[in-house]
Amino acid sequence: MTPVVFIIDDDQAIRESLQSLLRSVGHEVQAHASTRDFLAAPRRDAPGCLVLDVRLPGQSGLEFQRALAQLGLPLPIIFITGHGDVPMSVAAMKAGAIEFLTKPFRDQDLLDAVHRGIALSEARRDDAAALAVLQARYATLTQREREIMTMVAAGQLNKQVAAQLNLSEITVKVHRAQAMAKMQARSLPDLVRMVDRLSLR
Amino acid sequence: MASLLFGLALAAPHAQTPLAGSEVLLPAYAAALVVIELVTGALLLALFSVHRILAVMLLAAAYLFSGLMAVPWALTFPGVFDAMGLPPAGPQTTASIAAVRRLGFALLLLTYAVLACRQTRRAAPRYSGMVIAACILAVFAAAAGLAVLIIRNDALLPRFMMDAATITVNWTYFAVLVAAVYAATLAILLLRGWSVLDLWLTVVTFSLLIDILMLSFISEGLRLSLGWWAGRLYGLVAAMVVLLVLLAQTTALSAQLTRAVAAERRAREARLLSMQALSASIAHEVNQPLASMVTNADAGLRWLARNPPDLAETRAALERIGREGLRAGRIIDGIRAIFRKGGQERAALDLNRLLQAVLTRCEAEARPHGVTLELRLGERLPPVSGSAAQLEQVVSNLATNAFEAMSGIKGRPLVLRITSHAAPEGEVQVSFADTGHGVAEEQRRHIFEPFFTTKPEGTGMGLMYCQSILEAHGGRLWVEDNVPHGAIFHFALPAAPGAAAPRDIAA
Repeated sequence: MTPVVFIIDDDQAIRESLQSLLRSVGHEVQAHASTRDFLAAPRRDAPGCLVLDVRLPGQSGLEFQRALAQLGLPLPIIFITGHGDVPMSVAAMKAGAIEFLTKPFRDQDLLDAVHRGIALSEARRDDAAALAVLQARYATLTQREREIMTMVAAGQLNKQVAAQLNLSEITVKVHRAQAMAKMQARSLPDLVRMVDRLSLR
Repeated sequence: MASLLFGLALAAPHAQTPLAGSEVLLPAYAAALVVIELVTGALLLALFSVHRILAVMLLAAAYLFSGLMAVPWALTFPGVFDAMGLPPAGPQTTASIAAVRRLGFALLLLTYAVLACRQTRRAAPRYSGMVIAACILAVFAAAAGLAVLIIRNDALLPRFMMDAATITVNWTYFAVLVAAVYAATLAILLLRGWSVLDLWLTVVTFSLLIDILMLSFISEGLRLSLGWWAGRLYGLVAAMVVLLVLLAQTTALSAQLTRAVAAERRAREARLLSMQALSASIAHEVNQPLASMVTNADAGLRWLARNPPDLAETRAALERIGREGLRAGRIIDGIRAIFRKGGQERAALDLNRLLQAVLTRCEAEARPHGVTLELRLGERLPPVSGSAAQLEQVVSNLATNAFEAMSGIKGRPLVLRITSHAAPEGEVQVSFADTGHGVAEEQRRHIFEPFFTTKPEGTGMGLMYCQSILEAHGGRLWVEDNVPHGAIFHFALPAAPGAAAPRDIAA
């Protein structure tokens, strides 16, 4: 899937120059004059990153960064600014920006940052996709299988699980095998990792 | 004055009625007189230290002298301080002291009137402290010397008193002399007095005239009579009037000064803030096209480096660079226009008057820096044409710079000398010469550039602003070294077209 680089800057000349630069190295680019335009525009579901001017009309870049995090849009952000002071860049980086560039900047610095941003976005998407698969598998488990899977992952022996749930050891074994099959876990440690990932403990 | 005459008429018929035993009131009267006159003298000296008019110092000396002489007068008054065991003074002592005191005061007052009405003679500011000290010392020495001389040599004194209460004809002659001096003073003040102080001094002189008439003629010189006391009362009221006028003036002046200082500080903070805002916005405005040009150039290079090179994209990038260059130029034009905008309201200005107005405000600022302001305004300056507000800003900026250039320097006099003169080729030139740190050679090249500053809290906009204003007025600003210390900032402005050299064009 081709990644998309989003640009939000109220200065048209800056938008055009950034667009040209990013396209010249083969990126797909979408430029917007404001954060509202960006949110209103249809977005393709693809990895990408956001090049954002700190000083925007209306909502400032830093506020928008927080709003994006709340919206659950996991786009890595590269800030560009005409007057970067240290406290502002520190605040941006703390809030999760991956780069803070002061205009005018070296093109390579921006391209590197965009590259990193896209890589991060792809990794996040892969991660999210993997989690979605696990969640889908977990959804197919019965209540009893979920219970037993969690207890086994916590390190309890079949015998202990059976005693606690008032079941025979054989029954526990069957449920456990069923759960591992549905979760497609190849081994016990594999199952433990899946439980961790699903944050069941 | 009518009420004074009314009082005189009321007291006159009973003037010779003796008030037996009223000596006991004398110490209270004398104490009040001494305090009032000394405080008045001190306030007048304070007034002198501000205005530096020598006549005011003479008036202060008059009050100090009179106040000091009242001390031996009261101490030698027959039958008052005997109980304290003071040796009895000779029969002529008290009257002679009174005579010297009155004559001295009257003569100093006359000198004041003569000098004040000429309205000239300012002491050099640097020496005003020394002048005040010398004045106080001289008055003390004169008062003490005369008192000692009179007390020691009672036998040699002219006969003013027949006995403890009655005067001789000598006192009558003397009273006529003093009355004549007062009359002359009164005449001068009435004819040529200008200030509020002069107005009240007229009243004071008049009441002192009544005082001496009451004392010497209407009461026939009978000590401790009703007329004698009435005269005293007039003298006391006269002294109090000047004191009250001075106190009122001093209070009003200090309130005014406080307000002026606060207003100036607020104005300067506002200016500084707007300067900071302006420079930040200039930086941002110019930075945008710059950033865009750099990015376009980078993009163009990358389009060219592709295989095959994308010439259409490269051309588009180059066109954007051109457009952005023009945009930056327009922004800079806009900034210039901001400075020009105010300059379009041109009026004929008297630079001397403008300098005086601004520097009066700056005087309060100079004091904490320990800087003396010297204003040497050239005569017959042609008017210049310009915006008063902008040129005031230039003058105020240059003065503030000079004060700051001199702050923290010890061991040499700190002087800001501001001169104005009509230069050849129809220009008016103004110079600000300080004795501060001066401008180093490498600073001189950058000193008019924006954002160049040597001050920790400077914006680096002040001199650039001054220069752009002066250039918008067709003038120039330059700097040279002062000898042996400091710098001189000069500016020159062309005279208003078609102006001869009238000095009283309204600012």
